[in-house]
Amino acid sequence: MGVKKIKLTVNGKTHQVVADEDLTLLDLLRDELHLTGAKQSCDKKGQCGACTVIMNGRAVRSCLMKVSKLDGADVITVEGLGTPENPHLIQEAFVLAGAIQCGFCTPGMIMATKALLDKNNNPDTEEIKKALRGNLCRCTGYAKIIDAVKLAGRFLRGEITPDDVRPNPDGPKVGVSHPRPTAMEKACGTARYTADYLVPGALELAVVHSPHEHAIIKKIDFSEAEKMPGVVGFMTAKDIKGTNRLVLNTNDRPLLCEDKVRSYGDPVAIVAARTRKEAREAAKAVKVEYEVLPALHSPEEAMAEGAIQIHPDRPNLCFTHPQIKGDAQKALAEAAAVVEAHFKTQINHQAPLEPEASVAYLEEDEDGDVQLVVVGRSINIHKHLSALQDALGYENIRYEEAVSGGQFGMKVEITSEGIAGAAALHFKQPVRYIPSLEESMWITPKRHPYDMKVKLAADSEGKITAYDIDFTVDNGAYHSNGDTIINRSLRMLSGSYNIPNVNAFARLVYTNNPWGSSARGAGPPQTNFALECAVNMLAEKMGIDPLEFRLKNSLQPGQSKSTGTVVTEWPFPVVCESLKPHYERAKREAAKYKEGTIVRGVGIAAGSFGIGSPGDKAIVSIELDPDDGVTVYAAVADPGEGNESMLTQLAAEVLNLPLKKVRLVTRDTDRTTATGPAAGSRMTYMCGGALVEAAKQLKAAMEECGATCYDDLVKAGKPTRYTGTKVTLQSGPLDKQTGQGSAYESEVHCLQMAEVEVNKETGEVTILKMTTAVDSGPVINRLNYEGQLEGGADMGAGFALREQYIAKETKDWVTFKFPTIKTAFPMEAIITETPRERGTLYGSTGVGEMTMVPTAPAIISAIYDAIGVWICDLPATPEKIKAALQNKA
Amino acid sequence: MNNQNSKTAKGEPGQSYYRSVAGLTLLFDNEDYLWEPADWTEDVARVLAQECGIPELTEKHWRVIRFMREFYFANGRAPLNRQLKQGTGMTLMEIEALFPGGIKQDARRIAGLPNPKACL
Repeated sequence: MGVKKIKLTVNGKTHQVVADEDLTLLDLLRDELHLTGAKQSCDKKGQCGACTVIMNGRAVRSCLMKVSKLDGADVITVEGLGTPENPHLIQEAFVLAGAIQCGFCTPGMIMATKALLDKNNNPDTEEIKKALRGNLCRCTGYAKIIDAVKLAGRFLRGEITPDDVRPNPDGPKVGVSHPRPTAMEKACGTARYTADYLVPGALELAVVHSPHEHAIIKKIDFSEAEKMPGVVGFMTAKDIKGTNRLVLNTNDRPLLCEDKVRSYGDPVAIVAARTRKEAREAAKAVKVEYEVLPALHSPEEAMAEGAIQIHPDRPNLCFTHPQIKGDAQKALAEAAAVVEAHFKTQINHQAPLEPEASVAYLEEDEDGDVQLVVVGRSINIHKHLSALQDALGYENIRYEEAVSGGQFGMKVEITSEGIAGAAALHFKQPVRYIPSLEESMWITPKRHPYDMKVKLAADSEGKITAYDIDFTVDNGAYHSNGDTIINRSLRMLSGSYNIPNVNAFARLVYTNNPWGSSARGAGPPQTNFALECAVNMLAEKMGIDPLEFRLKNSLQPGQSKSTGTVVTEWPFPVVCESLKPHYERAKREAAKYKEGTIVRGVGIAAGSFGIGSPGDKAIVSIELDPDDGVTVYAAVADPGEGNESMLTQLAAEVLNLPLKKVRLVTRDTDRTTATGPAAGSRMTYMCGGALVEAAKQLKAAMEECGATCYDDLVKAGKPTRYTGTKVTLQSGPLDKQTGQGSAYESEVHCLQMAEVEVNKETGEVTILKMTTAVDSGPVINRLNYEGQLEGGADMGAGFALREQYIAKETKDWVTFKFPTIKTAFPMEAIITETPRERGTLYGSTGVGEMTMVPTAPAIISAIYDAIGVWICDLPATPEKIKAALQNKA
Repeated sequence: MNNQNSKTAKGEPGQSYYRSVAGLTLLFDNEDYLWEPADWTEDVARVLAQECGIPELTEKHWRVIRFMREFYFANGRAPLNRQLKQGTGMTLMEIEALFPGGIKQDARRIAGLPNPKACL
């Protein structure tokens, strides 16, 4: 391999580099110059733009640039643009426009923006889309990124300054879009994500993965691999001292497979080497002898008589649950109108832009005992810690969360943390496991696919009388929280409506497909797709406008959900009324485009998404510090939703403190309370509620002794630390025979409208606009809130139209059909703020998942409105649409 | 490792369940941890201890149990081992010897500390 000596300038400093022909500019920046602002997501395929830097005045993807060819180049990275103390105007614009959520794409976006604005400081939307077309974002739906580029242009043109748009930090704390606490670090590339942790002397890990979906491991041969350069050692399951099971709900998933693999990409062995490249090369040389078994690709195959049992100690049909309210069969028989349909949803990847990554090392704790430190992408309660302790057979573990590049439910599970932790214990050296994107897809869970057969009935007055649904959930190879997913579907089964008679039956089935777990919404997006399409079908059958049909059938206080739980508040009609004028406008406009090849349609769908699950509990501590500020202690992960803003703004509001006087300790299990996961849209309601309780205790203690500062409180002999708890009022499981019982104690309500254009020749669907009417109670930070709505709608559109995870075929962001700025669409939010009885502070709940719950049925219904065919099998690809049109013809 | 033999029937994966302990109907998670630590009583602890193979709780057991509960209510989580050592004045080996299933599986269960919540 040839090497070449070159000189290049990075951020104004000249470097002499001896580069081999494989060394990329991204590697040079990250690994050798320790400039980790440029990120790596797409396995250096140039697909994501997270590594964008400016070279010789042009935005380039540094992962594609070979250093050996860059002699004389002038490179600017995001670190060279500005610092948190002295940011560039573009960095200010991204922070102030609310364009930064997880922040993993942000450095690349900012550098692409810089290159654009250097040439054209007043670009229009199309010019921005063109300039940023190679930069991916999963969180924002691109709306606020486009806003940020335009705002940066105004700054650069001198029309306004950042101070003109920055909210007054001494003004109101709640209901104001104060910048996120860590946004500027993300904008300047100084926020540390897991792969940015450089531990001196760390071994790099690679994993040997199964090439089979179902097979017995006969033999693992390291003899060739151990001769490879740089190799330090190997691990198999027998080297793990603990249970080797990574448990969320069920102990069926091994950290390393023992005798059998059950899904494509299952981890079989670990290779440790001096460099990642050496580890990966050695992993390829490990020879594993398999006896291939029949693979089960669907629940039907898995439930068939004589099907091979995937786990020896549990049947393939591993969980069932009914739900029975009233007498659905009788109501169906007596109904004036019934619709019947069969819906399917796909396996999908949550697709955070940051791939999996973990770092682990041993250190002495305060007592001189050896503690294992695992750095990962989500603190996710202390459950991760507990699961790791059991799996590794080692109790003295500290979990540290790095800044997280998105997760969307995926990180309720531990994956790479187990590999890294096991290797650090085994090799007794620091380790880094930075898998490729494709590996990350193999080892992480997916959204469960649902198969749903439904009947929905109404009486002659247009009142819904019965709902019958039989649904089967493909669990994939491991159980994870499949039963929880089904319970969530059942607890929200009747959606926004009063349905007096419900008959449901759910089953969960092991297959050899990728395993399912939490994914934004986690169950209800699938069942709500079926319900909302059926509601539109029934409204049409009865000749009633679908919005009026929803108003007519909205649940009312005093009526009960499918769980039998009577509700005391239900502001769903408020959101319906707020959407009405927009809906009328959209129908009028679409009516002009009903003939010809390209036609338009309008569809609406609703969702009432549960917040505050039965038995949920959050604990948050707050401490008054000597400088009269406070520190909040809570394991509240913030992979982009805005939880850090929520905690900061709530504490400042209750205690009347400047925002900068509120500090957060949220990323270290040694210092934080057990708050529960960043899942279920629960953080504002549960953890925010617990924080408000703690802050009120502190405030009351100070008032009681007349203290106005830390010294006063200490002199009065009062504690400085207070712990608040929020517990939901109901607990316990649903009744096993009837599915009746405990339910979520509040809801966020939504009615969403899709306006689409369909090309009848190509089957292509273009989303013209999504309008979301939503009410989750008072909004704490409007920009963060809109960011959730916009990112969720974009994710919902991908779920409806494009995205699908197919084992072996889905390898990267192109094969996944990741949403791009090209497929982004205009969005409008209509926000009403009805306070909830048990909501946080002024009655707030959560919105992070609701935002994609109605999107797919709204889009599918709009497609039906445009072309007269229902696409009931997601995603609604052009091929499916063309086939449906041909069948119709 | 888990002391599975000493426990009563558990809930299904991920499912909480009710059972009667010391005359009280209490909610447990599927791993047999008490759901709500405030439901705990000393009588409950004695029954749970027997289920863990500890016929009688000694003063040393109570020292561990009381510290665990105090720490939990003050800090919102179970103590780490080093905090347990400091809080009880005992060595880890002494504590481990008191609880045949280990600190995590037995001591925390008997003290009525909840399992960290998984997915809701």
